[in-house]
Amino acid sequence: MSVILPYEMPALVTTAPLDVHRSTVLPEWVDWNGHMNLAFYVTAFDQASGAFMRNIGLGRRYVDGKHGMTFVLETHVTYDREMKGGAPMRFTTQLLDRDAKRVHLFHEMFHADEGYLAATNETIVMNIDFASRKSAPWPQQAAERLEQVWQAHQHLPRPAKAGRVMGLKKK
Amino acid sequence: MIEADPGAPLDIHRATVLPEWIDWNGHMNVGFYVVAFDKATDTLCNQFGVSWEYTREKIGMTFVIEAHVTYDREVKEGDPLRITTQLLDYDAKRVHYIHAMYHATEGYLAATNELMLMNIDFATRRSAPWPDWAMPRIEKMAEAHKHLPRPAQAGRIIGIKRKQP
Repeated sequence: MSVILPYEMPALVTTAPLDVHRSTVLPEWVDWNGHMNLAFYVTAFDQASGAFMRNIGLGRRYVDGKHGMTFVLETHVTYDREMKGGAPMRFTTQLLDRDAKRVHLFHEMFHADEGYLAATNETIVMNIDFASRKSAPWPQQAAERLEQVWQAHQHLPRPAKAGRVMGLKKK
Repeated sequence: MIEADPGAPLDIHRATVLPEWIDWNGHMNVGFYVVAFDKATDTLCNQFGVSWEYTREKIGMTFVIEAHVTYDREVKEGDPLRITTQLLDYDAKRVHYIHAMYHATEGYLAATNELMLMNIDFATRRSAPWPDWAMPRIEKMAEAHKHLPRPAQAGRIIGIKRKQP
Protein backbone atom coordinates (compact mmCIF):
# COMPACT_ATOMS: atom_id res chain seq x y z
CA MET A 1 0.00 0.00 0.00
CA SER A 2 1.41 3.36 -0.91
CA VAL A 3 1.66 6.29 1.48
CA ILE A 4 -0.41 9.45 0.93
CA LEU A 5 1.69 12.50 1.78
CA PRO A 6 0.06 15.11 4.07
CA TYR A 7 1.91 18.16 2.70
CA GLU A 8 1.30 20.32 -0.37
CA MET A 9 3.09 19.39 -3.59
CA PRO A 10 5.23 21.94 -5.47
CA ALA A 11 4.33 22.91 -9.07
CA LEU A 12 5.45 20.03 -11.32
CA VAL A 13 8.16 20.73 -13.91
CA THR A 14 7.77 18.47 -16.96
CA THR A 15 10.43 19.97 -19.25
CA ALA A 16 12.51 17.21 -20.82
CA PRO A 17 15.23 16.89 -19.72
CA LEU A 18 14.72 18.50 -16.31
CA ASP A 19 16.98 21.57 -16.33
CA VAL A 20 16.53 23.27 -12.96
CA HIS A 21 19.48 22.38 -10.72
CA ARG A 22 22.38 24.85 -10.40
CA SER A 23 25.34 24.74 -8.04
CA THR A 24 28.92 25.94 -7.47
CA VAL A 25 32.11 23.93 -6.84
CA LEU A 26 32.91 24.53 -3.16
CA PRO A 27 36.53 25.19 -2.06
CA GLU A 28 36.47 22.10 0.18
CA TRP A 29 35.65 19.92 -2.85
CA VAL A 30 39.06 20.66 -4.42
CA ASP A 31 41.85 18.10 -3.92
CA TRP A 32 45.66 18.09 -4.17
CA ASN A 33 45.37 17.94 -7.98
CA GLY A 34 43.80 21.42 -7.90
CA HIS A 35 40.38 20.36 -9.21
CA MET A 36 37.07 19.02 -7.90
CA ASN A 37 37.78 15.61 -6.37
CA LEU A 38 35.93 12.68 -7.94
CA ALA A 39 33.89 12.01 -4.80
CA PHE A 40 32.40 15.50 -4.81
CA TYR A 41 31.14 15.07 -8.35
CA VAL A 42 29.05 12.29 -6.79
CA THR A 43 27.95 14.67 -4.02
CA ALA A 44 27.08 17.35 -6.60
CA PHE A 45 25.14 14.80 -8.67
CA ASP A 46 23.38 13.54 -5.54
CA GLN A 47 22.08 17.08 -5.03
CA ALA A 48 20.78 16.98 -8.63
CA SER A 49 19.00 13.72 -7.75
CA GLY A 50 17.60 15.63 -4.77
CA ALA A 51 16.21 18.26 -7.18
CA PHE A 52 14.55 15.50 -9.21
CA MET A 53 13.05 14.04 -6.03
CA ARG A 54 11.80 17.46 -4.85
CA ASN A 55 10.02 17.83 -8.19
CA ILE A 56 8.05 14.64 -7.61
CA GLY A 57 7.25 15.77 -4.03
CA LEU A 58 9.99 14.00 -2.06
CA GLY A 59 12.08 16.84 -0.66
CA ARG A 60 13.31 17.54 2.83
CA ARG A 61 9.75 17.40 4.25
CA TYR A 62 9.57 13.77 3.16
CA VAL A 63 12.47 12.82 5.43
CA ASP A 64 11.89 15.37 8.22
CA GLY A 65 8.25 14.26 8.48
CA LYS A 66 9.50 10.64 8.78
CA HIS A 67 7.38 9.58 5.81
CA GLY A 68 10.25 8.00 3.91
CA MET A 69 13.70 8.34 2.40
CA THR A 70 15.39 7.66 -0.90
CA PHE A 71 18.61 5.62 -1.13
CA VAL A 72 21.01 5.39 -4.08
CA LEU A 73 21.66 1.74 -4.97
CA GLU A 74 24.18 2.15 -7.73
CA THR A 75 25.92 4.94 -9.59
CA HIS A 76 28.22 5.28 -12.62
CA VAL A 77 30.21 8.45 -13.35
CA THR A 78 32.17 9.50 -16.42
CA TYR A 79 34.68 12.26 -15.70
CA ASP A 80 34.87 14.24 -18.91
CA ARG A 81 36.60 17.47 -17.97
CA GLU A 82 38.09 19.12 -14.89
CA MET A 83 36.18 21.64 -12.76
CA LYS A 84 37.99 24.16 -10.56
CA GLY A 85 36.95 25.69 -7.24
CA GLY A 86 34.16 28.26 -7.71
CA ALA A 87 33.10 26.93 -11.12
CA PRO A 88 29.34 27.30 -11.72
CA MET A 89 27.53 24.08 -12.59
CA ARG A 90 24.34 23.43 -14.53
CA PHE A 91 22.71 20.00 -14.39
CA THR A 92 20.20 18.32 -16.67
CA THR A 93 18.38 15.14 -15.67
CA GLN A 94 16.71 12.57 -17.89
CA LEU A 95 14.42 9.87 -16.50
CA LEU A 96 15.51 6.68 -18.29
CA ASP A 97 13.23 4.19 -16.54
CA ARG A 98 11.05 3.75 -13.47
CA ASP A 99 9.10 1.09 -11.63
CA ALA A 100 6.98 0.95 -8.46
CA LYS A 101 9.96 1.67 -6.16
CA ARG A 102 12.88 2.83 -8.27
CA VAL A 103 14.01 5.46 -10.77
CA HIS A 104 16.86 5.22 -13.24
CA LEU A 105 18.26 8.72 -13.81
CA PHE A 106 20.88 10.17 -16.15
CA HIS A 107 22.46 13.48 -15.13
CA GLU A 108 24.80 15.68 -17.14
CA MET A 109 26.97 18.33 -15.45
CA PHE A 110 27.99 21.34 -17.53
CA HIS A 111 30.23 24.28 -16.75
CA ALA A 112 27.41 26.84 -16.56
CA ASP A 113 29.35 29.71 -18.21
CA GLU A 114 31.68 27.90 -20.60
CA GLY A 115 29.09 25.32 -21.56
CA TYR A 116 31.33 22.26 -21.73
CA LEU A 117 30.27 18.84 -20.43
CA ALA A 118 32.20 18.12 -17.21
CA ALA A 119 30.74 14.73 -16.22
CA THR A 120 27.78 12.38 -16.49
CA ASN A 121 26.12 10.27 -13.81
CA GLU A 122 23.77 7.37 -14.29
CA THR A 123 22.10 6.30 -11.07
CA ILE A 124 19.40 4.11 -9.54
CA VAL A 125 17.48 5.58 -6.60
CA MET A 126 15.06 3.55 -4.49
CA ASN A 127 12.22 4.62 -2.23
CA ILE A 128 12.65 3.51 1.40
CA ASP A 129 10.14 3.16 4.24
CA PHE A 130 11.25 5.38 7.12
CA ALA A 131 10.57 2.94 9.96
CA SER A 132 11.78 -0.33 8.46
CA ARG A 133 14.57 1.16 6.26
CA LYS A 134 13.44 -1.33 3.58
CA SER A 135 12.31 -0.62 0.02
CA ALA A 136 8.70 0.50 -0.40
CA PRO A 137 6.46 1.72 -3.27
CA TRP A 138 6.53 5.42 -4.14
CA PRO A 139 4.00 7.50 -2.18
CA GLN A 140 0.79 8.00 -4.16
CA GLN A 141 1.39 11.62 -5.23
CA ALA A 142 5.02 10.87 -6.14
CA ALA A 143 3.96 7.89 -8.30
CA GLU A 144 1.46 10.07 -10.19
CA ARG A 145 3.99 12.85 -10.72
CA LEU A 146 6.65 10.36 -11.78
CA GLU A 147 4.30 9.09 -14.50
CA GLN A 148 3.80 12.64 -15.78
CA VAL A 149 7.57 13.17 -15.89
CA TRP A 150 7.94 9.81 -17.66
CA GLN A 151 5.39 10.86 -20.31
CA ALA A 152 7.55 13.90 -21.02
CA HIS A 153 10.94 12.08 -20.94
CA GLN A 154 10.29 8.69 -22.53
CA HIS A 155 10.78 9.89 -26.10
CA LEU A 156 14.11 11.65 -25.48
CA PRO A 157 17.02 9.96 -27.27
CA ARG A 158 19.00 7.63 -25.03
CA PRO A 159 22.29 9.30 -24.02
CA ALA A 160 25.41 7.74 -25.60
CA LYS A 161 27.04 7.41 -22.17
CA ALA A 162 24.14 5.50 -20.60
CA GLY A 163 24.60 1.77 -19.97
CA ARG A 164 28.39 1.79 -20.13
CA VAL A 165 30.55 -1.18 -19.18
CA MET A 166 33.94 -0.13 -17.84
CA GLY A 167 37.02 -1.56 -19.46
CA LEU A 168 40.19 -0.81 -21.40
CA LYS A 169 39.40 -0.53 -25.08
CA LYS A 170 42.37 -2.20 -26.75
CA LYS A 171 43.46 -1.15 -30.19
CA MET B 1 59.53 3.91 -2.30
CA ILE B 2 57.74 1.39 -0.10
CA GLU B 3 58.13 -2.34 -0.49
CA ALA B 4 55.33 -3.75 -2.66
CA ASP B 5 52.69 -5.79 -0.83
CA PRO B 6 52.23 -9.21 -2.47
CA GLY B 7 48.66 -9.73 -1.25
CA ALA B 8 45.95 -10.77 -3.70
CA PRO B 9 43.73 -8.86 -3.40
CA LEU B 10 45.60 -5.96 -1.80
CA ASP B 11 44.22 -5.92 1.75
CA ILE B 12 45.98 -3.18 3.70
CA HIS B 13 43.64 -0.17 3.69
CA ARG B 14 41.64 0.55 6.86
CA ALA B 15 39.49 3.54 7.79
CA THR B 16 36.67 4.73 10.06
CA VAL B 17 33.39 6.43 9.07
CA LEU B 18 33.78 10.07 10.16
CA PRO B 19 30.89 12.10 11.68
CA GLU B 20 30.98 14.58 8.77
CA TRP B 21 30.37 11.72 6.32
CA ILE B 22 26.84 11.16 7.71
CA ASP B 23 23.79 12.66 5.98
CA TRP B 24 20.17 13.37 6.95
CA ASN B 25 19.32 9.69 6.41
CA GLY B 26 21.62 8.83 9.34
CA HIS B 27 24.18 6.86 7.33
CA MET B 28 27.32 7.47 5.26
CA ASN B 29 26.36 9.66 2.30
CA VAL B 30 26.89 8.38 -1.26
CA GLY B 31 29.62 10.94 -1.95
CA PHE B 32 31.66 9.96 1.11
CA TYR B 33 31.73 6.30 0.12
CA VAL B 34 33.72 7.62 -2.84
CA VAL B 35 35.91 9.75 -0.52
CA ALA B 36 36.65 6.57 1.48
CA PHE B 37 37.34 4.60 -1.71
CA ASP B 38 39.56 7.40 -3.06
CA LYS B 39 41.77 7.05 0.02
CA ALA B 40 42.06 3.34 -0.82
CA THR B 41 43.12 4.45 -4.31
CA ASP B 42 45.87 6.54 -2.64
CA THR B 43 46.98 3.35 -0.87
CA LEU B 44 47.04 1.58 -4.26
CA CYS B 45 48.96 4.43 -5.91
CA ASN B 46 51.45 4.35 -3.05
CA GLN B 47 52.18 0.73 -4.02
CA PHE B 48 53.13 1.98 -7.48
CA GLY B 49 55.08 5.01 -6.24
CA VAL B 50 52.64 7.52 -7.75
CA SER B 51 50.87 8.86 -4.68
CA TRP B 52 51.09 12.19 -2.80
CA GLU B 53 54.86 12.75 -3.24
CA TYR B 54 54.46 12.17 -6.98
CA THR B 55 52.19 15.20 -7.22
CA ARG B 56 53.90 17.27 -4.51
CA GLU B 57 57.19 16.96 -6.43
CA LYS B 58 55.32 18.03 -9.61
CA ILE B 59 56.25 14.84 -11.42
CA GLY B 60 52.77 13.72 -12.28
CA MET B 61 49.20 13.12 -11.17
CA THR B 62 46.60 10.40 -11.48
CA PHE B 63 43.03 11.20 -12.58
CA VAL B 64 40.01 8.92 -12.31
CA ILE B 65 38.19 8.94 -15.65
CA GLU B 66 35.30 6.64 -14.81
CA ALA B 67 33.77 5.19 -11.66
CA HIS B 68 30.98 2.76 -10.79
CA VAL B 69 29.71 2.26 -7.24
CA THR B 70 27.34 -0.37 -5.87
CA TYR B 71 25.86 0.54 -2.48
CA ASP B 72 25.26 -2.81 -0.86
CA ARG B 73 24.62 -2.01 2.78
CA GLU B 74 24.53 1.01 5.11
CA VAL B 75 27.43 1.98 7.37
CA LYS B 76 27.06 4.34 10.34
CA GLU B 77 29.25 6.91 12.12
CA GLY B 78 32.31 5.33 13.73
CA ASP B 79 32.04 2.06 11.82
CA PRO B 80 35.44 0.51 11.04
CA LEU B 81 36.07 -0.13 7.34
CA ARG B 82 38.32 -2.61 5.59
CA ILE B 83 38.89 -2.00 1.87
CA THR B 84 40.42 -4.56 -0.49
CA THR B 85 41.62 -3.80 -4.01
CA GLN B 86 41.83 -6.08 -7.04
CA LEU B 87 43.65 -5.06 -10.20
CA LEU B 88 41.53 -6.07 -13.22
CA ASP B 89 43.56 -4.73 -16.15
CA TYR B 90 46.16 -2.15 -17.12
CA ASP B 91 47.89 -0.59 -20.09
CA ALA B 92 50.68 1.93 -20.67
CA LYS B 93 48.69 4.81 -19.11
CA ARG B 94 45.76 3.32 -17.22
CA VAL B 95 44.82 0.87 -14.47
CA HIS B 96 41.38 -0.73 -14.09
CA TYR B 97 40.57 -2.02 -10.61
CA ILE B 98 37.81 -2.66 -8.12
CA HIS B 99 37.66 -1.89 -4.42
CA ALA B 100 35.43 -3.80 -1.99
CA MET B 101 34.46 -2.08 1.28
CA TYR B 102 33.63 -4.30 4.27
CA HIS B 103 32.46 -3.52 7.76
CA ALA B 104 35.74 -4.46 9.44
CA THR B 105 34.28 -6.17 12.51
CA GLU B 106 30.88 -7.45 11.26
CA GLY B 107 32.40 -8.57 7.97
CA TYR B 108 29.55 -7.66 5.61
CA LEU B 109 30.10 -6.07 2.19
CA ALA B 110 29.06 -2.40 2.33
CA ALA B 111 29.93 -1.24 -1.20
CA THR B 112 32.12 -1.79 -4.25
CA ASN B 113 33.85 0.76 -6.48
CA GLU B 114 35.16 -0.06 -9.94
CA LEU B 115 37.51 2.59 -11.32
CA MET B 116 39.59 3.57 -14.31
CA LEU B 117 42.63 5.62 -13.31
CA MET B 118 44.88 7.42 -15.78
CA ASN B 119 48.40 8.73 -15.38
CA ILE B 120 48.71 12.47 -16.10
CA ASP B 121 51.71 14.63 -16.96
CA PHE B 122 52.01 17.39 -14.35
CA ALA B 123 52.83 20.23 -16.76
CA THR B 124 50.40 19.52 -19.61
CA ARG B 125 47.63 17.89 -17.49
CA ARG B 126 47.30 15.37 -20.34
CA SER B 127 47.56 11.58 -20.24
CA ALA B 128 51.08 10.14 -20.25
CA PRO B 129 52.69 6.70 -19.86
CA TRP B 130 53.29 5.40 -16.32
CA PRO B 131 56.76 6.37 -15.04
CA ASP B 132 59.52 3.75 -15.31
CA TRP B 133 59.41 2.81 -11.64
CA ALA B 134 55.63 2.32 -11.61
CA MET B 135 55.22 -0.02 -14.57
CA PRO B 136 57.08 -3.05 -13.10
CA ARG B 137 55.11 -2.64 -9.88
CA ILE B 138 51.82 -2.58 -11.79
CA GLU B 139 52.86 -5.66 -13.79
CA LYS B 140 53.84 -7.49 -10.63
CA MET B 141 50.49 -6.77 -8.98
CA ALA B 142 48.61 -7.76 -12.14
CA GLU B 143 50.49 -11.06 -12.14
CA ALA B 144 49.59 -11.66 -8.48
CA HIS B 145 45.91 -10.78 -9.06
CA LYS B 146 45.27 -12.45 -12.42
CA HIS B 147 44.00 -15.72 -10.95
CA LEU B 148 41.52 -14.06 -8.61
CA PRO B 149 37.90 -14.65 -9.63
CA ARG B 150 36.36 -11.63 -11.35
CA PRO B 151 33.98 -9.95 -8.89
CA ALA B 152 30.31 -10.04 -9.89
CA GLN B 153 30.17 -6.24 -9.41
CA ALA B 154 32.81 -5.58 -12.11
CA GLY B 155 31.56 -4.59 -15.57
CA ARG B 156 27.99 -3.94 -14.49
CA ILE B 157 25.46 -2.12 -16.65
CA ILE B 158 23.07 0.09 -14.67
CA GLY B 159 19.38 -0.57 -15.11
CA ILE B 160 16.14 -1.60 -13.44
CA LYS B 161 16.04 -5.39 -13.57
CA ARG B 162 12.50 -6.66 -13.97
CA LYS B 163 11.37 -10.08 -12.91
CA GLN B 164 10.28 -12.30 -15.78
CA PRO B 165 6.44 -12.67 -15.80
